[in-house]
Amino acid sequence: MIDIHLLERRWIKYKIKRLIPYVVAILGIGAGLITLLYSVNQNDVTPPPPIKQEIPLVKITPKPDIAEEVIAIVPPPTLQQPRAVAAPIAVARPTPAETSVAWKPKALPSPKENIPVPLSIPKNTPLVAVSATFSTPVVVPPNSQNKPISIKQNSTTFDIHEIEDRFKNNSNPHLGLYIARYHYDNGNYSEAYNYALKTNAINNTLEESWLIFAKSLVKLGRTEQAKKTLQLYISQSNSEGAKSLLNNLTKEDEK
Amino acid sequence: MDHSLFSKPRDLFLDIVNPRDYVQIDSVSHMYQNLKASVQKPLKMILLYGKPGTGKSMLLHKLHHDLSKHQKVFMIDIPIIDEGDFLRVLAQKIYGYVNREAITLTDFLELSTAVNYPQSPIVLLDEAQLYSALLMEKIRLISDARALKFVITLHKTEDEDIIAKEHFQTRIWESIELQNASCEELKIYIQKKLLKANCFDVANMFNEKNIKLISKLTKGNYRETNKLLFSLFSLYTWYEKNTPSKIKYNALKPKYIEMAGIQTGLLRD
Ligand SMILES: Nc1ncnc2c1ncn2[C@@H]1O[C@H](COP(=O)(O)OP(=O)(O)OP(=O)(O)O)[C@@H](O)[C@H]1O
Ligand SMILES: [Mg+2]
Repeated sequence: MIDIHLLERRWIKYKIKRLIPYVVAILGIGAGLITLLYSVNQNDVTPPPPIKQEIPLVKITPKPDIAEEVIAIVPPPTLQQPRAVAAPIAVARPTPAETSVAWKPKALPSPKENIPVPLSIPKNTPLVAVSATFSTPVVVPPNSQNKPISIKQNSTTFDIHEIEDRFKNNSNPHLGLYIARYHYDNGNYSEAYNYALKTNAINNTLEESWLIFAKSLVKLGRTEQAKKTLQLYISQSNSEGAKSLLNNLTKEDEK
Repeated sequence: MDHSLFSKPRDLFLDIVNPRDYVQIDSVSHMYQNLKASVQKPLKMILLYGKPGTGKSMLLHKLHHDLSKHQKVFMIDIPIIDEGDFLRVLAQKIYGYVNREAITLTDFLELSTAVNYPQSPIVLLDEAQLYSALLMEKIRLISDARALKFVITLHKTEDEDIIAKEHFQTRIWESIELQNASCEELKIYIQKKLLKANCFDVANMFNEKNIKLISKLTKGNYRETNKLLFSLFSLYTWYEKNTPSKIKYNALKPKYIEMAGIQTGLLRD
C-alpha cells in the first residue's frame, strides 16, 4: 500500500527545497541592489574622477552572475542545499539492474528487476517453450492481424481518423464525446457539432456532449437553436452546467 | 476488484512486454520496417541496441509475433548461457532433433544442411550482452554458414559502450539503435496506449504541460514512463477512493505527477 501522507510530506519537503535557490537569489539581488544604491549615493557625495568609478559598477551588473556570486557569499549550510536540488535526476536514474556489466554471464538475468510492484506473470507474454514451436496457434486480435505496421500512417500528428473509424464501428458514446471534444478544441465546430449530435443519439445523458453540442451551435452562429437545445436538455436533466451556459447566452444577448 | 476510473489505466502501465500492446510511434515504426527488411537479407546479423527501457525487447517480440506467421522463427528471451545447451535447444526447436546431451558446433552445422527450409530460419536473442564472447563467436559462425539468421538485442549502458566491442565491429553486423522518446513521441505513446484501452476520460486529462513534466522526469524513457504513470494512477486511485473531492478531471495535477516522481525515485525529495 502506498503511504500517501508520507508521500505528501516528502513532496512538500521537495517543494521547499526547490524554492530555496529562488529565495537566496532574490535576497541576493536585493542585497546587490542595496549595495549598488549605496555606492551610487556615495559617488554623489564625493565628486570623483568618472572613469575609475565606473569599473566596479560594471562588475556587479551582469544579471546571471549576480545570483551565483551571492550564493557563494552566503554561509555554507544554505549553499549546499541548492546544489543537492540541482542534480537529483542524474543521481536517481541508473538502477543496479541496469548498470550490470556487459559480458559477465549471469546465471539468470532478471531484466525486469525494477518493476515497481509485484506482478502476476503476464498471461500473454510468450515464454520460450510456447513461442518456440512453429505449430503453436497464436491467437491474434483482429486489429493487429489486419493491419501489420504501416509507416505511412501519420501517427505523430495525432490520428483522430483512426478513432473516428473506431467510433463508426463500435458506437461507443465515450469515444464520440472524445472526438467531439477534440474537434471543438481544435476549432472545428461543425465536426464537433456532428459528433456531439451522434453521441447524444446514442446516449442522451452525457452532459458534456450536450454542452459541446450547444457551444458548437453558438460558434456556428446559431445561438437561438443552442438556447432551445439547452432548455430542452435542462428540462430533462436539471443540469447545472447547461443552466449556466444558457444564462451566459441570454446575458450576452441583452448586452 | 475495484471499479475506479484509474485502476484500468494504472494496470496498462505495468512493465510488461506483450506484442499486442505494441504502440506505433513514427520513428519506431520506421525502424521496425528497416528491421523487417534487414531480416530478409542474407548473411547480415542484426543488432538492436539502446539504453535500458527504450523498447528493444518490445520490438523483438513484435518481430517474433509478425514473422512467425510466414516463417520459422525462434526466440530465446531468457539467455541460454551454456554453449552446449544453447546448440541443443536450437537443434531441437529448429530442426526437431531431440538429444539429451549437448551437441558440438560441427554436429549442429551438419544438422542444418540436412534440413531444408525455404527461407533460413530466424533466431531472436534478447539480452545478448549476457552471452559469452565464445558463444557469440559460434553464433557468428552459424550465421556465416547461412544456417540461421540472428537478430539480437543489447543493452547499451552509460559507462560501457558495448558496440565498441570487437564482435560488433565486423561488417556483418547491421545495427539499429533505439532511443528514448521525444516529448511529442511520448505524448503519442501515452495517448495511444490509453485510447487503445478505451480510457478516453483519462487520456483527456493529459495536457501539454503534464506531458512536458512527465517527459522531463522520465527523459522520454518508456520504462521510466511506465513506472511513473503506474505510480501516478495508483495515487489517483487512492485519492478517488479516499478524498474524491480533491480530484480534478480536466487535467492532471502536477503535484501528483511530482509525488509519483518522488515515489519512483525519479525525483529526489
Ligand atoms: N512501441 C512500444 N509500444 C508499447 N510499449 C512499448 C513500446 N516500446 C516500449 N514499450 C514499453 O516500454 C517498456 C520497456 O521496453 P523494453 O522492455 O522493450 O525495453 P528494453 O529496451 O528491452 O530494455 P532493457 O534493455 O532493460 O531490456 C516495456 O514495458 C514496453 O511495454
Ligand atoms: Mg529488454
